[in-house]
Amino acid sequence: MHIAEGFLPVTHAVGWTLAAAPFVVHGARRVVVEVRERPESTLLLGAAGAFTFVLSAVKLPSFTGSSSHPTGTGAGAVLFRPPVMALLGTVVLLFQALLLAHGGLTTLGANAFAFAVVGPWAGYGAYRFTRRLGGGLLAGVFAAMVLADLATYVTTATQLALALPDAETGVAGALVKFLAVFALTQVPLALGEGLLGVLLFRALTANARPELERLGLLAPAPEPAR
Amino acid sequence: MSGLAVDDAAWASAWRHRSPADKLLLSGGLVVCALVLPAWPGSVLVGLTAVVLALGPARVPARTFGRAVRWPLAFIAVGALTSVVTVGTGGLGWAPDATARAGSLVGSALAGSAAVLLLATTTPMSDLLPALRRLRVPAAVVEVASVTYRLLFVLLDSLRTVREAQTARMGYSTAGRGWRSSGALAAAVLTRSWDRARRMQEGLAGRGMETGLRVLPEVLPSSPGFRAATVTGLAALVSLSLVVAGAAA
Repeated sequence: MHIAEGFLPVTHAVGWTLAAAPFVVHGARRVVVEVRERPESTLLLGAAGAFTFVLSAVKLPSFTGSSSHPTGTGAGAVLFRPPVMALLGTVVLLFQALLLAHGGLTTLGANAFAFAVVGPWAGYGAYRFTRRLGGGLLAGVFAAMVLADLATYVTTATQLALALPDAETGVAGALVKFLAVFALTQVPLALGEGLLGVLLFRALTANARPELERLGLLAPAPEPAR
Repeated sequence: MSGLAVDDAAWASAWRHRSPADKLLLSGGLVVCALVLPAWPGSVLVGLTAVVLALGPARVPARTFGRAVRWPLAFIAVGALTSVVTVGTGGLGWAPDATARAGSLVGSALAGSAAVLLLATTTPMSDLLPALRRLRVPAAVVEVASVTYRLLFVLLDSLRTVREAQTARMGYSTAGRGWRSSGALAAAVLTRSWDRARRMQEGLAGRGMETGLRVLPEVLPSSPGFRAATVTGLAALVSLSLVVAGAAA
């Protein structure tokens, strides 16, 4: 769920852009340092961005009968960490605005704040917290993907409520309205995305264990006894 | 055919060889007008201008343009409706200025979306990314974005192929199978993206290009006539909107 072009007043569009900017600039600096130290990272980071874009094209069977699409920022935050996702998420949002007419250019800052900053950080926080409590990789990934999706949805609803307060009950009333309306699709989607994350990482554990070990998500398998 | 209708339209557009800076000036100007001008008649004029220019001189297929607008339209309709419903002590009701408020919101959002689509359907992303360098975006970031753009078509193709094979094997015949297939599909796309990136890196390193694939950007010269027409048209649009809005007030 991205805010469409022209939906936010100028002051809000500028304000959310300024709020997202430090995170995106920080992510860009991390990418610049990473590419300077390991030039081969350019292709891996590009592949990560393309995967995040393509993941939004995976149709999930919806609990309401239709189909919906995951955001993929929770998985990205677990795999590549939130600072990098702030930049990659913003690049993906720009591509979604210009290749799918999904989102917009003046709303890019607001969408980046929800989708590329709050979502990945909430998801990564949930992942680390679950792992610290003793949860396994799959439990951590489920928490990360559900929380990343829910945090993105709550942030977007808040942005809309601030821009379009209710005539009688103000921002609080508008927030309740937007949360309630978008909950119909976003809460099932968040749970669905958590389930998709479990299935994704289960398949990765079976087929791409060395990559997960290299990313620090799994401990290296012990050497077989001789 | 890339598989993304908007991108296909951009490559086939009659404005494909116009300078991206010229098209950014036009679309950016229309987006700003949609945002700041009164909905009547500002948004209507902006929306009409964007649609007429896209379907007329830029020769974007009407079907592509119409289908692309469907995405934001659903969000705009739900968002605008939600914003004009009030929740008070007496239950649900309409805001006092519901029609005007919803009209203004829908008008500026549709006009802005049409203006962005005018840029998107006439300018391939590979023309826009070099412009980011001129905005002082670090070269490494532009390079990552360029690789993302090139790889996403390969991955979308993989996604379609794997999904087709899964469907043929009854992978989506029940909800449970659908979920398992979706997870396997996402994993297959991710591992293919890593594999593709690794093989591209090995190929580039083998050719001595270890810092990435450097290509000469296509030079698309700016047209003074197009720029003059853009500025004149935008000025006329702003003046007409303010005069009509002032007369109506």
